[in-house]
Amino acid sequence: MERLDRRLGFFSALPLAMLLAVAFLAPLLVIAVFSVMPQRVFSLFNAPDFSAYRVFFQQGYYGPLAWSLGMALVSTIVLFLISWPLAYGMAKVFGRFTLVLTVAVVMSLFVSENIRLFGWVLTLMKGGLVEGHFRALTGVGFESPLYNVPIIVFGLVYVYFPFMLFPLAQGIAMVPDDARQAAADLGASRWRVLWEIELPLAAPGIVVGCLLSFVLATGALAESKLLGGQSVIVIADEIETAFTYGQNWPLGSALSMVLILIIGALAIVAVTRIDLDTIMGRRR
Amino acid sequence: MKLTRRQFSAGMAGAAGLAALGPAGKAFAARDDQLNILCWEGYNSDDVLGPFREANPGASVRAESGTSDPDMINKLRAGEVNVWDLINVNQPWARDQLYPENLIKPLSKERFMPYFDTMLPTFAEPYPLAFADDGNLIGMPQRYGPFSFVVNTDKISREMAEDEGWNLFLDAGMNDRYGVLTYDNWNIMHLCLTAGLDPFREMDDAGKAQFREAADKIFGGAKLLTDDLVAMNTALINGEIDAYFTGGTYTASPARYDGAMNVRAITPKSGPVDGKGGVVWIELTSAVNNPDPSKLAEDFLEFVQKPEICKAVAFAEGTYNPVSQMGSDAVMSQFDEEELDAIQWDSLEEEMARSLDYQVVASYADLNEIYNAAKRG
Repeated sequence: MERLDRRLGFFSALPLAMLLAVAFLAPLLVIAVFSVMPQRVFSLFNAPDFSAYRVFFQQGYYGPLAWSLGMALVSTIVLFLISWPLAYGMAKVFGRFTLVLTVAVVMSLFVSENIRLFGWVLTLMKGGLVEGHFRALTGVGFESPLYNVPIIVFGLVYVYFPFMLFPLAQGIAMVPDDARQAAADLGASRWRVLWEIELPLAAPGIVVGCLLSFVLATGALAESKLLGGQSVIVIADEIETAFTYGQNWPLGSALSMVLILIIGALAIVAVTRIDLDTIMGRRR
Repeated sequence: MKLTRRQFSAGMAGAAGLAALGPAGKAFAARDDQLNILCWEGYNSDDVLGPFREANPGASVRAESGTSDPDMINKLRAGEVNVWDLINVNQPWARDQLYPENLIKPLSKERFMPYFDTMLPTFAEPYPLAFADDGNLIGMPQRYGPFSFVVNTDKISREMAEDEGWNLFLDAGMNDRYGVLTYDNWNIMHLCLTAGLDPFREMDDAGKAQFREAADKIFGGAKLLTDDLVAMNTALINGEIDAYFTGGTYTASPARYDGAMNVRAITPKSGPVDGKGGVVWIELTSAVNNPDPSKLAEDFLEFVQKPEICKAVAFAEGTYNPVSQMGSDAVMSQFDEEELDAIQWDSLEEEMARSLDYQVVASYADLNEIYNAAKRG
């Protein structure tokens, strides 16, 4: 009986598994095969020579990769630090006001990312909303903060804020109030409660939030293009250039593969460490 | 009414089956009532497509605009020759990549050669790059424009910019005062000219070293890089920058038409190739080698030669550009003074005379590597 059950499970999963294989794995496979092809070919039927991966090191493509990973890391840390108090408030303190906050944050997602970022450019640029008004009022102007690395990190933090905030609020909601009160009754300080009760119990939310924002920020392109004036070139930019102006599909594929492998490994490690059911299914 | 799970599943299966049948049925429809155009922005505007749809009732006419030449060519390479009927890209691509790879096919000379007679002098000869080496006509020219660099004439005078040419950007005083518009395939040509090299000749090691030096210098001194001409013009008008490398009437015209006449495209007075230092782009619209061709493709190409449609193509949304058909009075009379000012009609002829034709860069692959390394910093 149990064996039949298992077989039935297998058969009912088969259609979806096949759909996933075709829709999800096939494009990845094409990218993987293209990445080992000789440079600048447009067909998969060539003898593989792995030269695109050699180019990755020779041409210093690890630089853009490091910038992408580094800025994603910094923005994730900043996001965590600023989202934690707000998420805490949403989960435990604000009550009905949480809904207002949620709607407000979600609303921002209705407007295209590029348009929102261009809005920031018009706000921050020389002669823009801030500097222009300041100069008109005081007669003193100042340089705009655009076109450098900190403003790119700002853009990442701004754009991926919801992706950290909501999982974090969900995670914090899972921390039982009894546990915190018990710890406090037993004489734990506020910091100790945070460190030994709240952070560990909210860990699934923290991991999901960090993973989402980190992965998205690593592949981000618009922030460095619009706000950063490409003061640093990110890896997504290099991939786009290789596929378009470079007309070098194997190089673009190899760059994509390196990024996919790094992000994939990270995601697998993170996901195996948390029980997704805990955060998705159960809520106090 | 209560829907059982079994009924629901049966309904879904039926719906899925019907959905699967849909596109298969469509494959048997005659292709002569379909036209799919892959183009730069403009040909896809209602002002152009609307009248064509009216003239061909019942036909489904669709146009999609690409964001770069290679982007559009990638689509054909990836097998979309079955989808598109016309492609509109800059002149060297058709001749050097699309035609040799059988992605486009020749046009009827009988039908299209007469149209060259009323074009501007540059095109009336007729225009050589519209033909393949085997003599076949592979595309019709329409929009064009000199493309070198753009300055804010309140900060840098037109005379000075034209006299200085590319050296303007090598001046230490220009550090942090200019942007680089990252139309990469263009910039490679212009960096060659900046380094005093001929972009259309095979580059030796000394040439590559010179190119690298120029690329490092240009990227090193740039305040911002963007591939968005609106962002670049905004920065120019607001004083973030005083010039940008590279640009032309194509990028300056939207700002000029908006009233910012201090934004001006510049063509250097001198340069390293036959004394010329500017480059001109000319779009060719070619028939895609679709295995199931639509007769509407050539009809559309003929349709866009009409004076009012020429005007609609020249002044479609986004950017404003001169068209080769402006050699005819009927087309010229469509433009008012403000519009001619926006496209710098006053100096267009002399700028064209100072510009080289956009051709394929001989050492593109090597130079592209050096270029991207410099951009990476």
